[in-house]
Amino acid sequence: MTDALLQVEALNVDYAVGSGGLLGGGRKFLRAVSDISFEINAGETLGIVGETGCGKSSLGKAILNLVTPSGGRVLWRGRDVTKMDRKELRALRSEMQIVFQDPLSSLNPRMTVGEIVAEPLRVHAPELSAEQRNKAMIEMLERVGLRADMQNRYPNEFSGGQCQRISIARAMIVKPKLIVCDEAVSALDVSIQAQICNLLRDLQRETGVSMLFISHDLAVVRYMAQRILVMYLGNLMELSPRDELFERPRHPYSRALIGAVPEADPNLRIVDSLVALEGEIPSPLSPPSGCVFRTRCPNATPACVGSVPQREAVGPAHTLACHHWRTLYD
Amino acid sequence: MVEPVLKIRDLSVSFAAGDQQLAAVSNVSFDLNEEECLGIVGESGSGKSQTFLAALGLLARNGRATGSVLYRGQEILNAPRHELDELRGNRLGMVFQDALSGLTPTMRIGQQLAESAERHLGMSPAEARARALEMLEIVSIPDPAQRLNAYPFELSGGMRQRVMIALAMICKPDVLIADEPTTALDVTVQAQILRLLDGLKRHTKTSVVMITHDLAVVAGLCDRILIMYGGRPVELGATAEIFSGPLHPYTAGLLRSMPTLSIDPEVDLPAIPGQPPDISQLPAGCAFAERCERASDRCLREDPLLTARTNARSVACHFPLDGN
Ligand SMILES: Nc1ncnc2c1ncn2[C@@H]1O[C@H](COP(=O)(O)OP(=O)(O)O)[C@@H](O)[C@H]1O
Ligand code: SF4
Ligand code: SF4
Ligand SMILES: [Mg+2]
Repeated sequence: MTDALLQVEALNVDYAVGSGGLLGGGRKFLRAVSDISFEINAGETLGIVGETGCGKSSLGKAILNLVTPSGGRVLWRGRDVTKMDRKELRALRSEMQIVFQDPLSSLNPRMTVGEIVAEPLRVHAPELSAEQRNKAMIEMLERVGLRADMQNRYPNEFSGGQCQRISIARAMIVKPKLIVCDEAVSALDVSIQAQICNLLRDLQRETGVSMLFISHDLAVVRYMAQRILVMYLGNLMELSPRDELFERPRHPYSRALIGAVPEADPNLRIVDSLVALEGEIPSPLSPPSGCVFRTRCPNATPACVGSVPQREAVGPAHTLACHHWRTLYD
Repeated sequence: MVEPVLKIRDLSVSFAAGDQQLAAVSNVSFDLNEEECLGIVGESGSGKSQTFLAALGLLARNGRATGSVLYRGQEILNAPRHELDELRGNRLGMVFQDALSGLTPTMRIGQQLAESAERHLGMSPAEARARALEMLEIVSIPDPAQRLNAYPFELSGGMRQRVMIALAMICKPDVLIADEPTTALDVTVQAQILRLLDGLKRHTKTSVVMITHDLAVVAGLCDRILIMYGGRPVELGATAEIFSGPLHPYTAGLLRSMPTLSIDPEVDLPAIPGQPPDISQLPAGCAFAERCERASDRCLREDPLLTARTNARSVACHFPLDGN
């Protein structure tokens, strides 16, 4: 028995994509998340990285119960979320919060900022008086770097960075145990990104909230997370403590992803330093057989076509799925 | 002294919005030299795109440009449409973030490429087709002969961006302007396109302008960079010098606040406080003053102009850093 806050076990998420036609081919499914397992401990940040369509957001939604997994389990403090009763589910919804990528469209344009931030308290802390709610809302606004006098304004009067502060205030006001940040800083200007990352880091230090930090940006994930899950086409490639991943990536895809990030160093010319994988990400509707990464993997062999690599432990808290990791990069 | 390919002086762009004039770009001056790669870096809305759209005569209807843009000594700012059309198709190529917007959706890509070669290079249809194929090979499109028959929508984002680059480069232009060409792409595909651009830069005589919000993208690619803020040029110089010793407080702040793969993730990044200015309410003085720790009264009154510090470096700041 671990004391993990959240355990995800062999999770699958499938989306139905059209029907198989008149002749009864059956419905077709797109597997967005395939056999993913990990845990999040109290107070830690787990990062999820990967490119378009790798299943990052679907995984986040499955955890939040916004899509129904087609296989596997999500355990919240040891309890299967699909078996929870109403009361437990209600508690769960306040314990897990989300911050989305698009700051403006995730805020109700007809509500004032004060109403938006106080709203979750209405639902999850009905015992509070209007006055108490208001006080908590103002404290929260100030905590995320907004001013109390902004409470009567509407979301469209705010910049992207400020809208993200509002979303964070709304998420944090119910004192959640976990926040899922899905590309929460990706749409922000460079000079605002660091502000919002720092705000999340501060809030975590103060409240001990855990984070699932989803992003396509490796440098940002490295700054935010202590452990990192690398996904490709719905599958786990590597799950590793941060420094091990960046200092010594063991999986060919992790390696490629890290090598593809341009370094802010004028002495490293692009052609000499940037590693570019061949080809592009295959359609998730017809993923490659065997290892899903094999069509782009520089180390692929016939074994990679024939069978799916199983997850193996490489070290404490470090797993990966590759047939050949033992013989690569030594 | 060789004349620069493009010489931009006091270029300003404003947009009519109701009864207001929005100053999107103010007094931008710089040269683009023969065979160089110049990076234009700034946050969204800092005026990067409008600077070049104005230079090429592509401003929206409500936009107005003043100043001067000399292409090999010839004034092209607000030049007649047919002149600009010819220049754009032939001597000044442009690639956008969204490659679909630069390609004709209803035309096969081979046809689009060949048409440009026929029109601007005076090639016969057969020659133009051969040139189109050669261009697809240069930009590393797999199965180029088959791909000539594809429509833009049949290609992935990365492939479309390659086709866009092929189209911009087919007439061996003097200048290739790439506006956030990799921003919409996945990292592994971005790496491919950056390598392609770096290769083109080395193997052709074309000068490249790389417009981006990402300092890391220009670091390994550009010889010089121009940093923009609030529609103004704030710092110009050799890439290596700007990275090792920024003169403008904004540049210094940006460099410090970037999460890169080499920072210590345990240490908090020093973020620049505040937000980029809203161009409908630009302050009287320095556009960065509200966020600048060096700001004094003078900064609130007087807008600093881009001024040469040495012959290779310029900065727009009343109290610049010492660059060490
Ligand atoms: N047609 C237009 N009407 C009014 N404002 C515009 C128009 N086009 C661009 N702008 C404004 O001009 C400013 C500079 O834009 P732009 O050059 O696109 O910035 P960047 O490329 O650096 O992101 C922005 O504030 C933008 O909103
Ligand atoms: S299993 Fe094979 S194809 Fe997959 S990552 Fe390992 S070497 Fe590459
Ligand atoms: S002019 Fe003044 S406010 Fe502007 S960047 Fe320089 S020191 Fe800062
Ligand atoms: Mg732009």
